[in-house]
Amino acid sequence: MKDLLEWLDHRTGYKLLVHEALNEPIPGGARWRYITGSMLTFAFVVQVITGFFLWTAYSPSTQTAWESVYYIQHEMAYGWLVRGIHHFAAQAMMVLLGLHFLQVIWDGAYRAPREVNFWLGLVLMQIVIALSLTGYLLPWDQKGYYATKVATNIAGASPVIGPQIQQIAQGGAAYGHHTLTRFFALHAGLLPALMVVFLALHVYVFRRHGITVPPHAEGKPADTFWPKQVLFDAVGCLVVLGIVLYFALTRPAELTAPADPGEDFPARPEWYFLFLFRFLEFKEISQFGVAFGAIYIPTLLMGIVFLMPFIGRSKMGHYFNRGFLLAILTGITILTVMTLHEDTHNQSHQAKLKFAERDAHRVVVLAKYNNGTPQNGARELLVNDPFSQGPRLFARNCSSCHRFDGHDATGQLILKTVDKDGVKTKVPELETAADLKDFGSREWITRVLTDYETTFKPLENAGEKGKAIQTGEMSNWCKENQKVLTDPANADSLKALVEFLTAQGGRKDLGEFDEKLVAQGREIFKGGALKSGALSSSCTDCHAMTVANGTETESLSDGAGAGYPKLTGYAGREWLKAFLRAPGHADFYGEKNTMMEFTEKRMSEREIDLLVDWMTGNYIPNPSH
Amino acid sequence: MANSSSESPPSTHVAEGPPGEPRRNFLTSLLAMITGGIVGLVPVIAGGLFFLDPILRKRAGGASGLLRAADLSELPTDGTPIRVVLRSDITDAWTLYRNRVIGSVYLRLMPNGQILAFNDTCTHLGCKVDYQAADQQFFCPCHQSAFDLEGKPKNETPPRMLDDLVAEVKNGVVFVEYKNYRTGTPEKVAVQ
Repeated sequence: MKDLLEWLDHRTGYKLLVHEALNEPIPGGARWRYITGSMLTFAFVVQVITGFFLWTAYSPSTQTAWESVYYIQHEMAYGWLVRGIHHFAAQAMMVLLGLHFLQVIWDGAYRAPREVNFWLGLVLMQIVIALSLTGYLLPWDQKGYYATKVATNIAGASPVIGPQIQQIAQGGAAYGHHTLTRFFALHAGLLPALMVVFLALHVYVFRRHGITVPPHAEGKPADTFWPKQVLFDAVGCLVVLGIVLYFALTRPAELTAPADPGEDFPARPEWYFLFLFRFLEFKEISQFGVAFGAIYIPTLLMGIVFLMPFIGRSKMGHYFNRGFLLAILTGITILTVMTLHEDTHNQSHQAKLKFAERDAHRVVVLAKYNNGTPQNGARELLVNDPFSQGPRLFARNCSSCHRFDGHDATGQLILKTVDKDGVKTKVPELETAADLKDFGSREWITRVLTDYETTFKPLENAGEKGKAIQTGEMSNWCKENQKVLTDPANADSLKALVEFLTAQGGRKDLGEFDEKLVAQGREIFKGGALKSGALSSSCTDCHAMTVANGTETESLSDGAGAGYPKLTGYAGREWLKAFLRAPGHADFYGEKNTMMEFTEKRMSEREIDLLVDWMTGNYIPNPSH
Repeated sequence: MANSSSESPPSTHVAEGPPGEPRRNFLTSLLAMITGGIVGLVPVIAGGLFFLDPILRKRAGGASGLLRAADLSELPTDGTPIRVVLRSDITDAWTLYRNRVIGSVYLRLMPNGQILAFNDTCTHLGCKVDYQAADQQFFCPCHQSAFDLEGKPKNETPPRMLDDLVAEVKNGVVFVEYKNYRTGTPEKVAVQ
């Protein structure tokens, strides 16, 4: 063995190399504070390793990027772990970069003769930022897509050649396949290569000048790099790894819904760029244009940082540098906290985030259900999914009158701006029709039967016609029968009637229907006889109803004519669709109708199907767990 | 503050390590190696396991069962082989493909009404064999494997006969159970 190593050394001289690497003297002895550089390098190495493995499964195109990342995250063995490590190590790198930078400035390690190395460090910093920016887009999810769009638009706002830079970065006038292939080539090819080159230079120059020893350590006995400092460094790396693993194991790396240029997203940059995002929001900044806040000012600040070695030649200069850095860090902290605080208290933003999460979760359910994603990309899964599109269609078409659990079905409150003594405030807009959250369910039908007036209370805001419905015949019937229906002795009768009516919709999302109850309910519906007492008039006195009887249909009643809603298939898919298309039809409200008619001009066949399928629970179920 | 700004050591200087206490140094070295090993190995192991996904995880999505191959009327009655492509829904990694060509087979209608179906992949090294009418054989252009029309080897190149497949006729339609087998082995081992 020894001979072999001698032989190798003879030909390569590796022993001197190892000797130089490990026996670098550390004046004043090994110290914990020297470990940040090694931790940063370690984080980079972790990124190279995990990045390579992710590369083996990633496919950069607009129809496969999200899909392959989904596959890595949700299907492949340990994909979630490798991606999680990559995701959180990237963030660790940002934190370590900040620490390392802070330490260099604080300890004055940037001063002569270490200026060049300081500048090499600044180059490395830019490379890390570029890596973070390019990596963010690669999953091609809504978050990365919109956040990166902001970044490339900022590049586009650069003076003179901005638009050209943007087009070159994007690989065209708009985002597409080439945006991904280019970002990927930068992220996995050029940038890591530059990183290695500059890191090598950084370490080389660092070795040339040695470590910057704090004054109180001067005169203490020297160590060599090996083994004590190596141990310190390794422990530091272990801490980094531990934190990264903790996050990777406890929270999966986020993957929002597939990028969709037609759907907005509450985009925010990753947390370490939030300050810049908030900075650009200030009116005082934005009034000068995007380039001012996003390019000129950061360039100016970086310029000052670049000049720090010269500024820091004097003691005062060094203090200035420290103060400058502290000011920047304080600014960044304040802006970050401000953004987080504002976002947390922004109901609309939070609702959008929640709705986006709903999409992100849903698309995975659909991909798993279908045993794969469509050839045209996973976006199609959401586009054709009632559960995803229903609330959007409701918000667009229904929420000006109706509410869904108090909001517009996507979580947004319906507000209007009022001018009160010159102060503009947002207040809830009055709803003019019922809240449809549980439309057609047992609860809904129970409410309609026992408390019609409250269920349709919003109609009182809908003018005379609305009020006429709210306090009309059905409301009167309800008042007459409220007592007998809510009598505990009739609890079973009410349950049966509700079960019968609910079953008419044929919905599959409301659980099994109790056939016995349905049969009992049918008799009550027809005759009005309850366990204790009877209804003032039976349902069939007014409402037309045909029920399924085996393979045949059986007419229970022809009803009292136009304007008394026909209850055949009540609240089911077909009933609701017909109702939406023509609520003023004789089968529904007739002349009493106050509701908008959703003709094909207003809502296409496809849209109305998606909406109705969502409202009637006719979609691929979400696994309950 | 920083002391060594002006008198940094020359690059050629190689300092000898301080003598130190050998035992403590040994312990430190050992700990450094162990810790360094752990931090280095964890990402490599995680990535390595991920890379082994193809053998760690059973993938669903391959075609299975009988696939429609041809109408019986398309098959020559004299036993001449014809090549047909088979289609199926398959999942390739994340993508679900509908009705995608997954391979091709030779079909022969024998005088007794029996259907012979061969996977047209050469059992030697996996090229596609061609039917050569003049020599009444299946011939592989890669390494000159030749098979007779019953699929039996005509020379020493192929390790086994052509892989025959289960074929059925239902209502005048020929269905084939498409399978691929390992090449280069005398045994017929299905690849899944």
